[in-house]
Amino acid sequence: MMRRHAYRISTAKLGHAAREAAAAAIAVLFVLPILLLLVTAFKPDAEILHFHGLLPRAPTLVNFRRIFGSPEEIPIFRWLLNSMLISSSVTLLVLSVDSLAAYALARLDLPAKRLVFGLIVATLMVPGQILLVPVYLILNRLGWLDTPLALIVPAGSAAFGVFLLHQFFLTIPKELEDAARVDGCTRLGIFRHVILPLSRPALATLAIFTFIGSWNDFLGPLVFLDSVDKYTLPVGVALFQTSYYDNYGLTLAASAICTLPVLVIFLIFQRNIIRGIALTGLKE
Amino acid sequence: MRRLSGYLFATPYLILFSAFLVAPLLYGLAVSLFRWDLLTTRPPTFVAAGNYAEAVADPYFRKALAVTLEFVALATPTTVALALLLAALLESLRRQTLYRAAFFVPTMLTISVAGILWRWFFNTDFGLLNSGLARFGVSVPWLTDTRFAMPSIVLMTLWWTVGGPTVILLAGLQNIPRQFLEAASIDGAGGFTRFRTITLPLLRPVLLFVVAMNVIGAFQVFGQTFIVTRGGPELATRVLVQYIYETAFNNYRMGYSAAMSWLLFAVIALVTAVLLGLLRER
Repeated sequence: MMRRHAYRISTAKLGHAAREAAAAAIAVLFVLPILLLLVTAFKPDAEILHFHGLLPRAPTLVNFRRIFGSPEEIPIFRWLLNSMLISSSVTLLVLSVDSLAAYALARLDLPAKRLVFGLIVATLMVPGQILLVPVYLILNRLGWLDTPLALIVPAGSAAFGVFLLHQFFLTIPKELEDAARVDGCTRLGIFRHVILPLSRPALATLAIFTFIGSWNDFLGPLVFLDSVDKYTLPVGVALFQTSYYDNYGLTLAASAICTLPVLVIFLIFQRNIIRGIALTGLKE
Repeated sequence: MRRLSGYLFATPYLILFSAFLVAPLLYGLAVSLFRWDLLTTRPPTFVAAGNYAEAVADPYFRKALAVTLEFVALATPTTVALALLLAALLESLRRQTLYRAAFFVPTMLTISVAGILWRWFFNTDFGLLNSGLARFGVSVPWLTDTRFAMPSIVLMTLWWTVGGPTVILLAGLQNIPRQFLEAASIDGAGGFTRFRTITLPLLRPVLLFVVAMNVIGAFQVFGQTFIVTRGGPELATRVLVQYIYETAFNNYRMGYSAAMSWLLFAVIALVTAVLLGLLRER
């Protein structure tokens, strides 16, 4: 009896070890391309065309030097700046308008608010490609094409943040609000001093998603921007692919520069990001 | 009055929502009924359903629709199956955080970077995949052969997008009460039986969500093919969104482009409805 029991435990352990090994192997497969990107950016072109191994034999900064050294030809600093300006502005805009709207719809006694909220949530199902032509025509009329405004202002219309914050605000106990009201707080005061401080995790999740979504947006800048010095990093980097087709080192170095900020954000906020994604599936 | 004044808080958002979501939707529907060419000075002319009729008869539209359906048929089942497998694997481990992060991290990349990377891997002459296969004397025309191009795009898509569904399904698996599985174990149910009779039925709502989101996303595929293959070879990977994009922004035929995007929306809505109906019944 004893021996059989011991045998069972050891097979269970063995099974767990095998599964862990499988997970580790798959994890390496998923991370390897990104590692290759970051490492290969430091290789000379000859080593890229003939792969010898993961690590560069003769590590070089030549790719980065060329990118940063020719701002006329490759305005990568402009692209970096444009991307930062656009993504930060979008994040600020989305956080402010979405939190105010979600507060009104979740916590205030408004006529027809169910209808309004329902309408907003329904647009979550609208595929983005359908807005391409009409938004382009509207931006054209506003004179915003080929300016950062074309990418910032329309981004404030997305329903995701209103939905996310609305669901979170609903969970805040009514008593806290009542206590503040007794102390003479106005509706704006309650929003600022009760709702917002209690909603930091939800606001952080929304901020991270919005920033990364805007940073990585490709179709928007591709359609709404025209001049090379107005580009964001993803569109600028994609330009490399066509202009420097046979210069892989340069293209990979530019890709590495574009990826690094997102990787840093991911490493810091990994738990927030993954929890946020997981939640989208569990809420009906 | 006081009740209505609460809407002041929502006004900034509602203005943006109306101007850049509701208005464009209606405007786009209206545009789709006009012949609207930005390259000519001719004013837009009303053609009723003319653009829609043109699309249905247009061989390029049909080809792009077929290519899109091929992508959906290949990418969605493999993505969901792999995500389910990875989620079950993760769920059976004591330490999950690191592996979960590794499966998810490709999702963080912008499509131009992911595309540039895989163009390099797939390159017939000096790509990493063929460098590895050269040892066995094999050279695969990953992107240059009409038969291989789409599966290659799907392979890259798996790597780039499977992390999201994996994380969602993992959360779903963790929500299943342990007692159910333990009770089945005591009744003598093996691992596979437990998965089929308990895990899968309880996971159905989450699985439905994942399948639906994935189908909707797959129909709108654009970045992968636009960056990696530019729609080639011989239009073998030119999907609908790329054709819609080119019609609007290379040929400036706004009305026709808008009509095709509404047709794509209709296809997405139809397929999603059928799929949800099928999955819900069983």
